[in-house]
Amino acid sequence: MSTEHGTRPRVGCTVDTDGRISFDLPPGPDGEHAAQQLLLRLRPKKGQPEKTLHVLDLKPADGRLSAVLDPEPVLAEGRWDVYLLQGPDSERDRLRPGPRDLRALVDGHLRDRRSPLAVRIPYVTKDGYLAIRTWLRPAHAEAGRVDLTDRSLTVGARLHGAALEEGAVVLLRLRGAGGTEHTLEPRAEADGRGFSFTVGHEELAAATGVWDVFVQPAPEVPRVRVGRLLDDVADRKEVFVYPAATLGGAVLRPYFTVDNDLSVEVTKV
Amino acid sequence: MKISFLLHNAYGIGGTITTTFNLAQALAERHEVEIVSVLRHREHPNFTLDPRVSLRPLVDLRQDKEHPLYLKPARVFPRAEYRYGQYNELTDQRIAECLAATDADVVIGTRPGLNVHLALQAPPHVVRIGQEHLTLDNHPPRLRTALRRAYRGLDALTTVTEADAAAYRRKMRLPGVQVEALPNSVPDPALPAADGTAKVVVAAGRLVPVKRYDLLIEAFALVAAEHPDWQLRIYGKGEEHDRLRQLIADLGLWNNVFLMGAAAPMEAEWVKGSIGAAASNFEPFGMTIVEAMRCGLPVVSTDCPYGPGEIIEDGVDGRLVPVGDRDALGAALLGLVRDDERRHRAGRAALRNARRFAPGPVVEQAERLFAEAVTARRAGRPVVPDRTPVGGVLISQGFAARDAAYSAASSALRVVRRGQR
Repeated sequence: MSTEHGTRPRVGCTVDTDGRISFDLPPGPDGEHAAQQLLLRLRPKKGQPEKTLHVLDLKPADGRLSAVLDPEPVLAEGRWDVYLLQGPDSERDRLRPGPRDLRALVDGHLRDRRSPLAVRIPYVTKDGYLAIRTWLRPAHAEAGRVDLTDRSLTVGARLHGAALEEGAVVLLRLRGAGGTEHTLEPRAEADGRGFSFTVGHEELAAATGVWDVFVQPAPEVPRVRVGRLLDDVADRKEVFVYPAATLGGAVLRPYFTVDNDLSVEVTKV
Repeated sequence: MKISFLLHNAYGIGGTITTTFNLAQALAERHEVEIVSVLRHREHPNFTLDPRVSLRPLVDLRQDKEHPLYLKPARVFPRAEYRYGQYNELTDQRIAECLAATDADVVIGTRPGLNVHLALQAPPHVVRIGQEHLTLDNHPPRLRTALRRAYRGLDALTTVTEADAAAYRRKMRLPGVQVEALPNSVPDPALPAADGTAKVVVAAGRLVPVKRYDLLIEAFALVAAEHPDWQLRIYGKGEEHDRLRQLIADLGLWNNVFLMGAAAPMEAEWVKGSIGAAASNFEPFGMTIVEAMRCGLPVVSTDCPYGPGEIIEDGVDGRLVPVGDRDALGAALLGLVRDDERRHRAGRAALRNARRFAPGPVVEQAERLFAEAVTARRAGRPVVPDRTPVGGVLISQGFAARDAAYSAASSALRVVRRGQR
C-alpha cells in the first residue's frame, strides 16, 4: 500500500551495481501508444534558471512502461527531479515514488571504482516526490569506521579513482578565511587504496569552526574529499551520527555534511 | 454482501488503519465495501485506498468542533475506552444515525468502543462483527466489565491471535457469539524477496518503550563484537529516539547501529536486510514480523504475548527467545549471522510460511465467518449454539467478579484521592 493520496502515477525504480536505474510506471490512460517520456532536471540554485535536462523514452514492457538510465552519460553532481512528459505539448507532471529497490547499493563500498566516480541514489524529497541525488568526482575517499576516544579521532577510508603514493597526506582545513590547515601522515595499506589517520583532539580544539577532511594521494596532485557516498543512504547527516568529545572548553564532533562529506565541528561550551 | 467497516479515523497512520484498508480492499474484489470513519481531520487518508472501497466520515474535526454536542461527554461510547477523550455526544449521535440507516448486511467494528456502539445500536437485520486489535488481558478491568456486558450483542468477535481468542472464551461468557482469531493480512510484496546475503539486520516500529529497541541494541553489541561488518537498521520515530541515540553512543556502536527515521512503506527497506528483529515486551499481533517474513527474512523475536509465537516457528523460519533476555536475543541473532546456509534456509521458510497471512487466505476466512453470521441472523439463531459448560460459567463469573472488584476499588481510590486534594 502506498502512503500518499493522489491519482498521478508513481514511478518505481531499481538500481543495479553499475548505477544503472530502471524506472517502472503503470501504463498511461491513453494506452501504450502515447509518446511518453521521463524528464530528469538538475535542480537549479534558488533564483537560477534550469539548465541541465535529460530525457528518457518510456517503452512498453509487460503492460507497463519502463525507461532505463544507463551508467553513461554521467550526471552532474546535485539533485535531479523526475517528471513525466505526456506528449510534446503537454505540461510536465512531477512524479511521486513507487518502490525504490536500492538493495544493490547497500554494500557498494566493497567495489573499487574508477575515475571519474559517479554515484546516483534515488530518494524521496521532504515533500514526497522522487528525486535522484548524484555525485560526480574525479576521485573519492570513502570513509569507513570512525573511532573516537577521549584523546583522538581515528578514521578508516578507501580511495577510489586514485592511489596513495609516497608523500601522501591527510589535510584538515578550517572552513572560511585564514586557510588554517593541519597535515597528517596517513597509515596506508599495502594496496595503496585503504588508509587510516588519527588526529588528536587538541590539534583541532585550538580553533572553533568546521574542519573539512581531505586526502592528497601524492604531492602535486589535487586533494580528494573524504566522504561517504557508496551505499543507499542519500541523506546521511541525521542517520550516521557520532558522539561528541570534549577537551577543555571545546566540544568536537565528527559529522557528515548535507553532501555526505566528512567534517569535524568544534564549538566552545 | 454489502460490508461496512466502522473505523476510528481512516485519515491517520497505524496498524488498525493499515489492516482495515487491506481487508476492505481484498473484500472489494467480490463485495460492496465501505469504510465509515468516525473522525476526519484532513482531506485525504495517508494511505491510498482502492477506489472500489467508498469512504465517508461522520464527524469532520475541521468544522464540527464548533458543534454544541461536540463539547458534551459521550454517553454510549464507553468511558473506560482508551479513546474516550476523542468521543462526545456528537459522535454518539452520528454513529447511532449511521447504524440506524445502514443498508449493509454486515457491519464491522474495529475497536472496543465502536464494537459497543455496534452491539447496542445496529438494527436487527444487520450482522455485527466486533474486531479486537488489542488484547483482553491488557484492557483495564473497568473496560473489560463494560465489554463483558455489551459484547453479548455481537454475532462474532474476532481477535488477531488464537491466544487472545482463548482469553475471551475463557474469561468472558458471550453466549451465542462466535469468537475466532482472524490474523492481519499483508499484501503480496511488489519487489523480489531478499536473497539473504546482505549483512544487515532490520527492525521497524514506533520508537516507544514497549518495543524494547534498547534491548535489541544491547543484544546487537554481541553481533558487532564478533562481526563488525554487520549493521542493525532501526526504522521508525518516537519518544525513545534520543535515549536510543545515547545508548548507541555509550556502547560505542555508532559504526554498526543506525536510527534510520520513518519509512512507509517498509518493503524496499526489508529487502535490503537478511534478518528481521523484534524485541517487544508485548505485541498484540506483530505486523512487522509478517512484513519481514513476506519479504524473505527470517525474524528473531522475543516470545512475548501474543503475536510472535503464532507467527514464527522457532528454529524453522526464525527464532523465538525469552522476553527481556539480551543474551538470548544476541545469541539467536548470532546463530543466523554466523551460518549463511542456515540463514538462507530460514529465509526461504519464512517466505513460504508467511503466505498464510496473504490477503487471499485471510479474506476467505473472513468471508466464511460473515456468511455464517448472515445465515444465522436471517434464521433467527445465534452463530454458535450456547454450549458453555457449567464450569466455564463459573470461571467467567470469577473473572467478571474480579474485574468488577478492581473497578470498584479504583473508583473508591479516586474518591479518596479527590477528597485529599
